[in-house]
Amino acid sequence: MHRLSRTVLLAGGIAGAFALTTAPAISQAPPGMSALDKSDPATSKQDANLKPHATPPIVTPVDKLPLAKLKLPSGFKAEVFSSGHPGGRTMVMGPNGTIFMGTRLLGRVYAITDKGGKREVRTLLQGLTQPSGLAVKDGALYVLAINKVLRFDDIENKLDNPGEGVDLTDKFNLPDTIHHNWKYAAFGPDGKLYIQVGANCNICEINPGIHGQIRRYNPDGSGMEIVARGVRNTVGFDWHPTTKELWFTDNGRDWAGDAGPEDELNRIAKGQEGAHYGFPYCHANGIPDPDIKIPNACAGVVMPAALTGPHSAGLGILFYTGEMFPKAYQNVAFIARRGSWNKAQKFGYDVVLARTTPDGKAKVEPFMTGLLDQKANEFFGRPTYLFQMKDGSLLVSDEQNGAIYRISYDAKTAEPAARPKKK
Amino acid sequence: MRHTPFIPAKAGIRFLWRRVPAFRGTNGGWSRADPLSLRSLLGLLVLCFAVATDQAMAQTMTLAERIVQCGTCHGEDGNSKLENIPSLAGQPAFFTLNQLILMREGVRKVEAMAPFVKDLTDADIQALADHFEKLPAKPSEETVDPALAERGAKIAAQRRCESCHLPSLAGQQQMPRLAKQRIDYMVHAMKQYLTDRRSGADTAMTAAIFGLRDEDIVALAHWAAGK
Repeated sequence: MHRLSRTVLLAGGIAGAFALTTAPAISQAPPGMSALDKSDPATSKQDANLKPHATPPIVTPVDKLPLAKLKLPSGFKAEVFSSGHPGGRTMVMGPNGTIFMGTRLLGRVYAITDKGGKREVRTLLQGLTQPSGLAVKDGALYVLAINKVLRFDDIENKLDNPGEGVDLTDKFNLPDTIHHNWKYAAFGPDGKLYIQVGANCNICEINPGIHGQIRRYNPDGSGMEIVARGVRNTVGFDWHPTTKELWFTDNGRDWAGDAGPEDELNRIAKGQEGAHYGFPYCHANGIPDPDIKIPNACAGVVMPAALTGPHSAGLGILFYTGEMFPKAYQNVAFIARRGSWNKAQKFGYDVVLARTTPDGKAKVEPFMTGLLDQKANEFFGRPTYLFQMKDGSLLVSDEQNGAIYRISYDAKTAEPAARPKKK
Repeated sequence: MRHTPFIPAKAGIRFLWRRVPAFRGTNGGWSRADPLSLRSLLGLLVLCFAVATDQAMAQTMTLAERIVQCGTCHGEDGNSKLENIPSLAGQPAFFTLNQLILMREGVRKVEAMAPFVKDLTDADIQALADHFEKLPAKPSEETVDPALAERGAKIAAQRRCESCHLPSLAGQQQMPRLAKQRIDYMVHAMKQYLTDRRSGADTAMTAAIFGLRDEDIVALAHWAAGK
C-alpha cells in the first residue's frame, strides 16, 4: 500500500529514503524532514513554530465577513456576492449562469444560482478528496479531485441530482500522491484541458516524468502533452487575450527563509511548450536551491515574468477583458494572493495586478488590500480565485470566510484625479 | 431496546473488530493483549456500540445526551479506556470540529463513527468540540517505554513534530493534542497517514510522516503519550 513511497523512491530520493529507513542512522541523517521535504531547518533560520493556517469548515455569518476592511482604487466598490459556502475557492460558470465552486479540505463542490437577485448555494457534490479543479465545456462540469476525474454532462439541468458522473480517472492517469496534488484545471483556447501536476513535496528531487508539470489533454483524457516542466505548484493559469500565451502563478518553496525565494508569475512563450521553470534546483529570479545543489542550477531555466512576493501564495490569475473597468485594466492580469504561512511577518492576503510589458515580463501593483493588518500581524480573509462576470464585474473568492465578493466600477464615484481620461 | 437501521449491531461489531489491531493481527509486536482482556474488551465494545447505536437515530438529542453517547467509547471524562479509540479530552476545539465535519462529509472515512456524525449540525459539532477542549487530558493505562520514548524524541526532532503540535504537544487549531493520547490509537492514526488513507487538514502531515517504519511510529507514539 505504500504507493507514495514507491513513487518517490523511483523519483531519485533513494539515498535519502535509505537513510531514513535505517533506524540507528537517524541522528546522522542528512538535512531534511523526510524524503518529501529536504529542507534544512538549521540553514533556514525561520521560526520553527510557523504552521499552515486553518481553513474554517463552517459558515462565517454575513455580519462577520470582512467586507468593510476591503480597500480598492477610487471608483471601485466591493459587495458580498454570496456566502455560506465554507472553503469555496475555484469558480467556473455553466452556460446558464450557474457558478460552480471547488473546495479542498471540505471535499465539496458547490453550485451557486441566482434566485430573484439573491444567490442560492447548494452543495452539489461531497465526500471527494480536495475537488478544487473545475472546468466547464459544452454544458458538462469536469471535476478534478486528487486522483479522480469526473465529468457531469448537462449539469445545470441536474443540480438537485447530479448522479455519479462519468469517471475519467483511468483515462487521465494522474498520479495518486496526495501532497500538492489538488488540482487547478482550465480549458485553453485550443479546446484542450490544462491540468497541473505539482511537486509531491516541499523541496525534493521529483520524478520529472510525473511531477512538477503543466499538462494538456483532449477532453476525454487522451493525447497528453507536457507544456511546462520544473513547476513546483501552480494552481492558477490563464491565457493572454491577444497573444494567447499561457501565464501561470507558481508557489515558491518553504523553509528556505522568510524572504523567499519569492513566488513567480510565469509565461510560456509561443513555441516554448515543454520548457523548464527551475524546480527543484533554481527558484525565483535565478536563486540556486540551498538544499538540493547541482552545478549550473539555473542553466536553461525560464526566468519568471515577474516575482510576486515571498510566500505570498499567488493562486488564481485572470486577464481582464470586460467593459466595466476603465481602459487601463484591459488585458491586465489580476492575481489573488492567498497569503503566507511560512513567514513570521505575514504577507499577501490581497489581489494584485500584473501589467504585461512587450518584452514578455510584467509589473505587479496592488489592487485589493485591507485583509492584512501588518501591525497586528493578523489576517481577516484569504483571496483565492477570480472570475469575470458577463457585466464586467469581478468576483473574488475568500476561502477563509466561504464568501465571494463582487467588485464593480462606477466612473461617477471615482475621484476626479483618479478618473480615467475619456476612452 | 430500539435498534437503528443505520448499521446493524452485528455489522457494527465487525467494523470495530477490524479497527482493533490485536484482532487484525497487524500489531507488529507492539502490543500483546492476552485473550482474557480481549474477550472483556469485546464485551465492552458490544455494550458501548449497542448503547450508542440506540441513540444514533435521535436527531433531537441534547448536548448532554450527545456527550454521554461519545463517552461510551471515548471515556466519560473524554479519556478513552478502549484500545484504539482516541481520547478527546483537551483536544483543541478546532481540531475536533474539523474532524467531525470531515467524517460527516465522508471525507475522513471512519465507519464506526458514521452513524453518529451523520445528522450532526455544525452547531452540534461546535458545542461538542468546545466541551471536550475543556476536559483535562489524562494518561491512559498503557505503559510508556522510556527507551522507545527516547528514540521517538530523536525522530520527532528531525520530523519537526513540535512546530505544529507545539513543544508541549498540546496541539493547536487544526493540529491535535498528542500528549497523553493513547499509544495504540496514535500508532493506528499514523499508519493511516502513511498509507494515504487520511490526509489531514493540510497535506503537511503526509510529508512529515513519509518514509517512517512501523517501529519508528511506535517510538513516536511512546514519546508523545509520555509528554
